Amino acid sequence: MARFDSIIHQPVRLQVMSSLVSLDLGEQVEFTYLRRLLRVTDGNLGAHLVKLEEAGYVRIDKTFVDRKPRTYVSATGKGRDAFAGHVAALNEILQGAAEPTQPAKARSEEAGP
Amino acid sequence: MGISHEDALESLHLIHDTATKTRRAVAAGYAGNLLILWGSVWFAAFVGVHLAPHRAGLVWSVLDGLGVIGTVLVCRKWPIRSSMMGSRLSPAARRMIVFWLALFAYATLWVVLLRPANGMLLGTFLVTVAMLGYVVIGLWSGSSFLVWLGLIVTGLALCGYCLIPAYLNLWMALTGGGALLGTGLYVRIRWR
Repeated sequence: MARFDSIIHQPVRLQVMSSLVSLDLGEQVEFTYLRRLLRVTDGNLGAHLVKLEEAGYVRIDKTFVDRKPRTYVSATGKGRDAFAGHVAALNEILQGAAEPTQPAKARSEEAGP
Repeated sequence: MGISHEDALESLHLIHDTATKTRRAVAAGYAGNLLILWGSVWFAAFVGVHLAPHRAGLVWSVLDGLGVIGTVLVCRKWPIRSSMMGSRLSPAARRMIVFWLALFAYATLWVVLLRPANGMLLGTFLVTVAMLGYVVIGLWSGSSFLVWLGLIVTGLALCGYCLIPAYLNLWMALTGGGALLGTGLYVRIRWR
């Protein structure tokens, strides 16, 4: 279902979600690898990941590999669904089929059954 | 929140570019390193067998062993893992390992059953089996690059076997090992 998501729409978070969703379901990527890939700073990426984690869109796992601390990030099922809905909403805006100023959910509620 | 047509278009481009960049970076880090590793193994092994043909078995055993150890090290350093069942390997990496083990078992079975008459025939057979693996992975992952690499090296191996059997090992070092090494470097540099 097309649904514009203002949490995902911020450019860094949009890139984070695009990157995580392009991996297989259940795959996690290391924080430092994601930071290098997106060319952002530690603090910047960390702050945006916290926002996405609070929304339930990403999962952050801290662990030890060979006695070194590692942080892994993955997209949750809810995050994948929200991202798919956001992409659909963007496509609707492009096609002119959607009212760009309101989320799709609100529009469907107004329209009734 | 209101967004314009241009903003939506820009966001969709950003999504597409980031997804492409991620898939390529994954391929560059993983496939690139493994191509360089196995290209080096092949180059050294074929040159070694040309210089000491009576020790072909030993040369291939030692270098393949080093290649397997190197592959394990590349996989251990891999920054993507599976979150399921506590496994450190991603589902894709697990499928890849099972595929190569199955292909290796298939090649071993037919080598034991057919007992090739000479080392050149055996070497050419194993090269074509390994390249079949590249073709299958290319088809599986949607990489025409890997499909073409597998087909071209297979063609070069067969040409060498038919046309210049006396220099087959040097030919395979340059074409087989060189092709893997060169494409691995290309992937690492261009897809970073």
